[in-house]
Amino acid sequence: MKSPSPDTLKQVKDFSRPATVFAIAPVPGTERAFLGCQDFKVYEAEFSAAKFEPKELYAHESYVTGVAVAGKVVVSGGYDGKLTWWDTVAGKVVRTVDAHAKWIRKVISSPDGKLVASIADDMVCKLWDPTSGKLIRELRGHKEKTPQNFGSMLYAVAFSADGKFLATGDKVGHVVVWDVESGQQLATCEVAVMYTWDPVQRMHSIGGVRSVAFSPDGKQLAVGGTGKIGNIDHLEAKGRIEVFDWRAGKQTAEFPGDKHQGIVNRLAWAPDGSWLVGAGGAGEGFLIFLDGTTKKPVRQEKLPMHVHDFALSADCSTITSVGHNRIQIHKLG
Amino acid sequence: MPSKHFCGSPDHAVSRRAFLGSTAALAAAAAADMTGLDVLSSPALAGELKKGRKRVILLWLAGGASQLETWDPKPGAITGGPFRAIKTDVPGFQISELMPQMAKRMKTTCVIRGLNTRNGDHGSGAKLMMRGRRDEANLRYPDLGAVVAREMGRADSKVPDYVTFYTQTEGRSMAPGDAGFLGARFGPMELTTNNTPEFIRKLDTITDLDHRERADLRDLLGKQFAKGRQSDTMNSQNEAYERVRGIMASEKLFDVTQESQKVRDRYGPTQFAQQCLIARRLVEAGVPFVRVARAWWDSHGQNFETHQEMVPELDHVMATLIDDLGERGLLDDVMILTLAEFGRTPAINASLGRDHFASAWSMTMSGGGAKGGAVYGKTDPKGNTVVAEEVDAGSLFATIYSSLGINPNKNYYVGSRPIPLVNPGVEAIAALAK
Amino acid sequence: MRLRLVLAAIVFTLTANASPAADLPPADRTVETVVDDAIDAAIASAGVTPAPQTDDATVIRRLTLDLVGRIPTAGEVDAYVKSTDPRKRANLVDHLIASPGFTRHQASQFEVMLSPDIERRGSGAIREYMTAALKDNKPWDRIFRELMLPDESDPKQKGAADFLRPRVTDADKLTNDVSVAFFGVNVSCAQCHDHPLVKDWTQDHFYGMKAFLARTYDAGGTLAERGFGIVRFKPNKGAEKAARMMFLTGTKVEDSTAREMTKEEQKKEKDEAEAAKKTKKAPPKPAFSARAKLVDVSLEKGNSDFFARSIVNRMWHRFFGAGLVNPLDQMHSENPPTHPDLLAWLARDTAGHGYDLRRLIRGIVMSKTYSRGSRYPTEALPDARLFAVSRLKPLTPQQLATSLKLAAADPAGFDGKKPDEFEKLMEQYESSARGFASLIAQPTENFQIGVGEALLFSNGDRIMKEFLTDGGGSLLARLKATKDPKEAAGFLVKVVYGRPPTDDETSALVAYVQKRSDRPAEAYRQLLWALVTGPEFRFNY
Repeated sequence: MKSPSPDTLKQVKDFSRPATVFAIAPVPGTERAFLGCQDFKVYEAEFSAAKFEPKELYAHESYVTGVAVAGKVVVSGGYDGKLTWWDTVAGKVVRTVDAHAKWIRKVISSPDGKLVASIADDMVCKLWDPTSGKLIRELRGHKEKTPQNFGSMLYAVAFSADGKFLATGDKVGHVVVWDVESGQQLATCEVAVMYTWDPVQRMHSIGGVRSVAFSPDGKQLAVGGTGKIGNIDHLEAKGRIEVFDWRAGKQTAEFPGDKHQGIVNRLAWAPDGSWLVGAGGAGEGFLIFLDGTTKKPVRQEKLPMHVHDFALSADCSTITSVGHNRIQIHKLG
Repeated sequence: MPSKHFCGSPDHAVSRRAFLGSTAALAAAAAADMTGLDVLSSPALAGELKKGRKRVILLWLAGGASQLETWDPKPGAITGGPFRAIKTDVPGFQISELMPQMAKRMKTTCVIRGLNTRNGDHGSGAKLMMRGRRDEANLRYPDLGAVVAREMGRADSKVPDYVTFYTQTEGRSMAPGDAGFLGARFGPMELTTNNTPEFIRKLDTITDLDHRERADLRDLLGKQFAKGRQSDTMNSQNEAYERVRGIMASEKLFDVTQESQKVRDRYGPTQFAQQCLIARRLVEAGVPFVRVARAWWDSHGQNFETHQEMVPELDHVMATLIDDLGERGLLDDVMILTLAEFGRTPAINASLGRDHFASAWSMTMSGGGAKGGAVYGKTDPKGNTVVAEEVDAGSLFATIYSSLGINPNKNYYVGSRPIPLVNPGVEAIAALAK
Repeated sequence: MRLRLVLAAIVFTLTANASPAADLPPADRTVETVVDDAIDAAIASAGVTPAPQTDDATVIRRLTLDLVGRIPTAGEVDAYVKSTDPRKRANLVDHLIASPGFTRHQASQFEVMLSPDIERRGSGAIREYMTAALKDNKPWDRIFRELMLPDESDPKQKGAADFLRPRVTDADKLTNDVSVAFFGVNVSCAQCHDHPLVKDWTQDHFYGMKAFLARTYDAGGTLAERGFGIVRFKPNKGAEKAARMMFLTGTKVEDSTAREMTKEEQKKEKDEAEAAKKTKKAPPKPAFSARAKLVDVSLEKGNSDFFARSIVNRMWHRFFGAGLVNPLDQMHSENPPTHPDLLAWLARDTAGHGYDLRRLIRGIVMSKTYSRGSRYPTEALPDARLFAVSRLKPLTPQQLATSLKLAAADPAGFDGKKPDEFEKLMEQYESSARGFASLIAQPTENFQIGVGEALLFSNGDRIMKEFLTDGGGSLLARLKATKDPKEAAGFLVKVVYGRPPTDDETSALVAYVQKRSDRPAEAYRQLLWALVTGPEFRFNY
């Protein structure tokens, strides 16, 4: 099925929120989604409702930065290092696990819903059985310290469409592709430009790989972040996307950004591979669509809020972007 | 002759009294004041003063570290950010989880949580927080380092009195060390490009003997010239040359390789860590004031990433410094301060940053006469305002001086005008007296 | 302590306020005679003996440093000392003032005066502008006008815009800097409250001045001004109010443009700024320019005293090391001048002669007061406010660096040069010293020299490489040919200090060299070092 063209993008809904939404996990085939928020809470939102009133489900002890739906289970994680399982049928918390020694950055589910992956600043990616809550595998391959001896951070994770591969990306621009079945490292890619260490002027860093996404055929890996930053007090570089032939560890295309300032927090490909979309921001936000072949921008949309995550519906007809105190829905096709 | 060109507040009425306003009078007064230091050359007096001679290491968190990610966490508040609060060794007192090592050492440390300094501008904020007050239109006050150098230094000191490290370039020109009206004698030795002071080492092209005798010859020529002439500036030049040899002898103090690898590893490999180790070496050798600036905390974007990166370094280095000084029996004599031009807004901006904020922030004093384990001041649940025990820059400085055993109401003289260390009426916080 | 008591004991009365104009010395007198009469009268009434006139060698050193920013060469000193021409001082002064060195050095001094904070000094464009302006002997009021209202399309005035440009982002600072630089008045205290001690300065003064200046902005690299605008402030007591344009004298300006800009006007301004950025041309001037009004008002009869007195006081300070009013930015009724009639006369004279800076400077340096010695036989000095003894003035960074270059050169290199060749050479020395000058602190009030400078001179390799070399054309190379240490020592002192050595000096220097007979070249280098680091070199005395 041909994915709708980015030309058709139009904003259809706009909701303000009292707090920043860091993560969204849609329930396939519905207009429902689960939201992870700055107020430590996980909400269930029904976008088709006449009055948009997300329902508070439960709370973490810190920012909720990852939410994943796997079958009838929601798994959420946050800066408290904990993962919480929520039974969507029974409507209750099933278990809470001290999953990581440090701050959890993202939680996602595999395309078939049989695995949940969590990443955290302990620099480990953990694979979980969404049903039993059992830890299946730990993927270790990111350094805990930056070359300058400061703590590193593990920001980005994504499964391939067939669920065989998983990619993780860290602060210093190191990306690893893993074989999900064996837990082996298959390849690495380096995106050093996304990490700015300022050795003289301000002596700390900014940036990092914030998003990764496999092409539908699994051969290409898109990596999102930001460019080299002069004044690291601000996210002043443009949102940046690079594409890799990940098996060769070779960069095949780069979009250094042109219009929109900030960092690319989320990436996704259209299922037919005709385009990919990145979202993020700084003070404001953006959606950037690149042509799937040429990787040239085909549509760029300014959003009023820094976007932290989005949900792309299976048929690509809907993009639900969440971020700083706001949610916006765009339609395609 | 009345000379009323000092503004500020009614307290300056003192300047009505017999102010001469002439440079010669200034020079004479300054000279008289400086020679006052000679009491230290009397062995009995010197011994007495040495006992209580405190020193200060100022960790200057340039750009403005966030109080919410350090000393005054607000876990759960919408302004609180993602980091949790953890228990400390002081019952009922919590700090950010980014500081686990300091959490075990809060008994050494006094936290002031209710700073309201009303200035959210880097340049003038830094000036204010280095001096404890705003300069008058025509009177430049000495900063903390210069006052401590003046009070705790020795006239015949072989070491520098005031050393400041500021290796990062951002904000450096906004927060230079400044001796104000105390003059260059108490001004800082500034280290900006590396950890060894510039020009501290003799060139290889001259022998040590020639270097010394050349200086003696200069001295002789200078004395000839000075016959029948008086000038405070000329005196300062001669004094500066007289101090050269002593300062040169202190070169090894700046060399971390003089420390065992074990000690260096304990501080850690970062520049800030190594500079704090040098600071410890300096205070151990009697340098009254060392500032180690750690820039740049100005996290308008990505506040949490920045603090997640930088606070653990501060936590580790500060804890190591406290332990190290403690083990050497120096913690009662050396005060470690954390201070900045301001803190950061509780409100989190769209870029997940925090902006400049001076109305409810925090600083710490450890050792050296500070009241360890004390927490002074309280901010509201979101951290927007001080709700109890508010402290401004003036009373903070009065408290620092008084903890160090310096009477904050002591006067310096500019001409015949008495200038107390803090503005008249400003008091140290009584609750923090030890 | 003893000294302080002595000083405090010298009580003399100076009338706080200037006499009415009619009682001032006649307008047709020369600056130098009026200066000397006024200063001598105060000295006499204080019952003090002033220091005697200094010797010729010191006079030419002082004049050369003050007027053209360098020490004189040994040849210049010799010629001056030997000359029996009764007009030799006047000739020297006229020669120096007419030389290009004068405009360059005075321009550097003006640059520091206009922008004491080095951060606001910019790229040196103001210095370039001032050099050109002083070369043409532009009157001070014209320079003021060009600095305040620069025509950026005129390449000759380009640098003038660098006074306002770095300040326009902070109207409060701009207000104070303009008041300090041109009117000798620091109104910053009155920003937050009426001045507690000086009744002259109220918040109305500060905000009144600000109202003239707050409409100025930077339109993408060029200066521009809004046609409307209103400055509001919150007085200590009472509700917020709008400030009326008001000069320091209290003169108010009727202003129909004191209002907020409309949305359309704001948009128009934005568009014009965008356009200006592209074309690099300033947006059109407003029909009513508040900034131009300030210039006009401040030079009007009745108001111009601030302007005239301030420049006189600053020039006095430049050549005497202290003002007639100190500090320089505190010219107000409660901080009277030491010599009110003198200041009043000089201000009237300067304004009356079209703000001719050269005339004022010439008069000051031709006075006997200027050429008084800096030595005083007794330890108890007369009160410094009497100008009975010359002050030591620390050299500016550029004076020091250029003079170092000259002192380290073989003086034979200056002999027999045609005047324009000599001038070119001096300019080369000056520019080659600029880099080193940037390492030296600019003198301020109550200046102290820190250990940093002493370390730089003691251990900096730049001193050795750039100054104390024995390469071709250097003083040290010349000394290699000298066999007699006594002759060499005498020559060194002559070149560096412009005078013969004393017997004590000779024996100390010769002994120093003799002790190092195995390394005479090093010995001479060290002698030169000791001479140039001594106070006799560091100060204009």
